Amino acid sequence: MLMLAWRNIIRNARRSLITVAAVSLGLAALLFLWGFNDGVHNSMMRNLQQVIIGSIQIHKAGFFKSPKLSCDIRRPDDIRHAIASYVDISSWRLRTFALAAGDETSEGLVLLGMDPAQEKKVTRIAGKVSRGRFLSENDTTSCVLGLTTARNLGVSLGDDVVFLSEDRFGSLAADKFRLIGIIDSGEMGIDRGLAIVPLAYIQSWLSMEGRYSEVVLQTSRESLEALTAELRARLEPMGYEVLRWYDMYPVMRQWVDLENGFYYIFLGIVLLIVAAGIMNTVLMSMLDRIREFGVMMALGCSKSRLAGMVVSESLMLAIIGIIIGTTIGLLLVAWFHHAGIDLSSQMDTIQRFYINTLIRTEIDTDHLLNTVLSVLLAASAASLVPVWRVMLLQPVEAIHHV
Amino acid sequence: MNASDNGTASMEGWDSPLIQARDLSRHFHSSQVEVVALDGVNFDLQHGAFSVLAGRSGSGKTTLLNILGTLDMPDAGALNISGRDVLKLSTAERADFRLMHMGFIFQAYNLIRVLSARENVAYVLQLRGVARDERLRIADTWLAEVGLEGLESRRPDQLSGGQQQRVAVARALASEPDIVLADEPTANLDSHTGEALMQLMRALNEKRGTTFLIASHDPVAMDAGKELLMMEDGRIVEQHRQ
Repeated sequence: MLMLAWRNIIRNARRSLITVAAVSLGLAALLFLWGFNDGVHNSMMRNLQQVIIGSIQIHKAGFFKSPKLSCDIRRPDDIRHAIASYVDISSWRLRTFALAAGDETSEGLVLLGMDPAQEKKVTRIAGKVSRGRFLSENDTTSCVLGLTTARNLGVSLGDDVVFLSEDRFGSLAADKFRLIGIIDSGEMGIDRGLAIVPLAYIQSWLSMEGRYSEVVLQTSRESLEALTAELRARLEPMGYEVLRWYDMYPVMRQWVDLENGFYYIFLGIVLLIVAAGIMNTVLMSMLDRIREFGVMMALGCSKSRLAGMVVSESLMLAIIGIIIGTTIGLLLVAWFHHAGIDLSSQMDTIQRFYINTLIRTEIDTDHLLNTVLSVLLAASAASLVPVWRVMLLQPVEAIHHV
Repeated sequence: MNASDNGTASMEGWDSPLIQARDLSRHFHSSQVEVVALDGVNFDLQHGAFSVLAGRSGSGKTTLLNILGTLDMPDAGALNISGRDVLKLSTAERADFRLMHMGFIFQAYNLIRVLSARENVAYVLQLRGVARDERLRIADTWLAEVGLEGLESRRPDQLSGGQQQRVAVARALASEPDIVLADEPTANLDSHTGEALMQLMRALNEKRGTTFLIASHDPVAMDAGKELLMMEDGRIVEQHRQ
């Protein structure tokens, strides 16, 4: 029966080729668009995680919603033991709020104490310093500011910035820090409202020796969920919260989901076109052969078997189209992954959204499989009308069909 | 072949004949006109018969053949073939019954265009589940039997009308059915080819004992039949052995 289906496909080679070409090009275009989409989204999510926030953060329970200095990690060994078997490196930070005063004005900001050696292993924040340098291990009263904050405060490299904050006991704490580096990342959350100071110094300054606000981990996308689940199982009973990057910044995740939703709508439209093409071919082919179908029924071929042949023809067209389309689509994705698509001239502000100006296409496995399976499903659905026509055929009428 | 006009649908005596038809009637409705295609047909067909169902166009030959072939259903009557009350079979069961018990030869040959002569003959065997090598061997044997040795790989469009009809004969006989029903098998052939075809079918009937019922108004076909059954206005009006 499969052989007969195949012969029927090649009997009208031109019609079949047009259908296969439509399926192939439609699928290749869809895969390339997914590649662009996933390239943008994945680089955006990677950048967000790698620049400063990490894949996972561990806090004292409640810290994320109410980030007080008193809501701190007081028994860091609990966490060190818990994460030791999963990750080799982590960044331990102290976070509080401060009022920063420069030569001209003052501004409220987040004061983030970082261990420079640890931080360089976990995030890429040090690489975002465009003027001066990042913190080094011997620094004490040094700070790094975002470009916008430095501009607002009217300070430049080598100037002093005074930070006014509260220590662990609620007493006012004020100190003068030397501006050694300015970050110009293009990312709004970093360039404005953030000051980075040495962890050891800020711990001592705020009477927080041995205490931390957050532990930052990096992990792959594939292991994020499993690692989070494991850490939650171990740490939540001890009074800690384990948050994935998108628990802390859900807007980006929701934006990605929304855009993917639009792509699925587009996928649906393309699938309708593909299904219509396949249905047209199979239906025309079936109508050409009504007499032959009648003869086959007369010879004892059941309607279900005939229907199976029609479905087989539809699926064969789809599978050939899928093989060609997937090959072309993946080659395009691979090519533009290496060559990249340079959007710097068109989108000079996209870095604000953690998007690279050179887009490297990549495609998520689930998007690839969903698209391919959807085409296969569309092909199956496209055969329903011809199958329905077959099931209505009566041998006598079919044999005498003109 | 026994024509009967007793008008009953009795199930008595259903043991020996290959086909027993009782009071078969079939009406067609088109707009405001009702056409009586069959009007109470009764007859028995014995195993090994080589009978020709003759009559003018519109006399009901094809309708009767379609019903005997379980391709169509009568409005009334009873029909037993090979010991089965075929009118009680479902659509799927009728398809299976045709596969196991019947062979068909059509006026327009009706070979499957994408299959070779060998594959056309083997097609019914494939439906029956016969292994590939075995069905191709049987197909070659039958093609040789109908005089088409060496043409096994040709597609229908590479064969003459007479050759295509011989392939159809081989296809009808390859599964060794209880009966072969042929509808105007010589109508598309020239008289010489038609005569040769009828001689071939008769020879196969005599050699293998296969039962043939041939609907035709071709004098060549009527001459070749061992029995002649005349139809007129949906009834069998005359029958005699030749």
